[in-house]
Amino acid sequence: MNGEPTRRDVLGHAARGAGLLAVGGTAAWLSLRAGKAGAWTIDWTKCVNSRLGATGVPACEKCASTCVLPLSAVRAVNDHSRCGRCCICPAYFDVTSDLGPDGLPTQKLCPRDAIRRTPIGEVDPSDPLNNFYEYLIDEVKCNGCGRCVMGCKEPAGLGSIRLEVRYNLCLDCNRCSIAQACPDDAYLRKPAT
Amino acid sequence: MGRPLGFLLPWLAVLVAVTDIRAIEYERPVSAAPTAESIGGGYVTPDVQRPLPRAAWWAAADAGLLVAAMAASAWIVLRRRSRRWLVVLTIGCLLYFGFYRKGCVCPIGAIQNVSVAIVDSSYTLPLVAVAFFFLPLLASLIVGRVFCGGVCPIGGIQDLVVLKPLRVPRTLDRTLALLKYGYLTLAVWFAVRPAVSRDFLICRFDPFVGLFRRTGTAEMLIVGGVFLVVGMFVGRPYCRYLCPYGGLLALLSRFCWRGVTITPDKELDCGLCIEGCPFGAIEKMRAVRSSCLFCARCYPTCPRERVRRRQTAAARAPSS
Repeated sequence: MNGEPTRRDVLGHAARGAGLLAVGGTAAWLSLRAGKAGAWTIDWTKCVNSRLGATGVPACEKCASTCVLPLSAVRAVNDHSRCGRCCICPAYFDVTSDLGPDGLPTQKLCPRDAIRRTPIGEVDPSDPLNNFYEYLIDEVKCNGCGRCVMGCKEPAGLGSIRLEVRYNLCLDCNRCSIAQACPDDAYLRKPAT
Repeated sequence: MGRPLGFLLPWLAVLVAVTDIRAIEYERPVSAAPTAESIGGGYVTPDVQRPLPRAAWWAAADAGLLVAAMAASAWIVLRRRSRRWLVVLTIGCLLYFGFYRKGCVCPIGAIQNVSVAIVDSSYTLPLVAVAFFFLPLLASLIVGRVFCGGVCPIGGIQDLVVLKPLRVPRTLDRTLALLKYGYLTLAVWFAVRPAVSRDFLICRFDPFVGLFRRTGTAEMLIVGGVFLVVGMFVGRPYCRYLCPYGGLLALLSRFCWRGVTITPDKELDCGLCIEGCPFGAIEKMRAVRSSCLFCARCYPTCPRERVRRRQTAAARAPSS
């Protein structure tokens, strides 16, 4: 068995060596070209929930409903530097609901109660309706339905809330089901920043 | 003297009023957000919550686990020759690569990413996809289809449901096995098309990824269920007849250096092992390297193997 190598052995070794070189060479060539991994991102200038022009219509909830994960990999974030900190925030309250005795709408817009509202700055206890409020979106509760994004938009709001992909959850599917369902091609694969 | 003062007084009053209004300013223009100064009370504008990217070491950990699992699979099948340990490895990889990582980043799907990257230089190909595509191919040139046995979650889930495998007639088996090359061609063809009409067929028609995620289109979940039911009687039907990556591995593993040898030492040519292989991968009483799926089911059927096991057990007994 361990005698002279036969013609078959030599040919086998040659084929194996050629295969290893070919596969390894292609792998090395491609890994040199493989840069930073691409990642699914939302272009919020295109997203129907955040771009102007569509106001007062039901929010597009595809990001929440089509992701393969139980909790969507998309969430809403509030850009605090742009947030108006309104008392009656059109993204926090359902402004079409009845006013309560405190002068605030009785219904909240978020179906999962993921937005936290806290008074900030110099609080005037005698006139709470004139305070500034900070709106913080709970990452664990938010499922990226985009209702608040649609609510916080001119003319009612300043458009400070937008949808973003949470890369820690995103599975980076080749065939992203949100991208397939997105009505405005706002869900794109871009090099990670 | 009184006259100039009287002239200034209304203006002074206006000035006082303006500064007073400023002190109790409530108006909030919608065109601009209030700044930390206008809010007052020591308020600091918080940063935008940034969803952090998946850390790079996770990708490295996935690739490392793939290498470790393939090494373990090769060691268990070729050295330890133990089906039991391979089942443990299969379940472990099924749980991690399948149910935990939800079947994403897998060599089968990476075929498409690699094909796209070859023709489209603007496409960003993740390094982990390169690793996942090429490492099992390199392993197949050395030891054979070691990725298929114990590591691949799609193979694993089918391997665990094999109940009473029927022997598929040789010609039918070989004809059906050609399907995977057709599927491979089709998948590459759809992947290398221009970006607008590009489609990832393998991911779209993956029968088991829906089970791993416990969600998916109803059609594909049904197809996955059918594959599992058929898989009870025809061993690993997806791997043998449809898996495009299996096609690549079958081509390369023909030239592999070491493969499964059913007998531990002496070739008996008794043919008892043929009944033990659920995948029809034993021909002329030897394991066929291109179709052997490294499941380690044939070893217990070999009389020489039984002798070897008795000897190792006897050798171990006095020491323990």
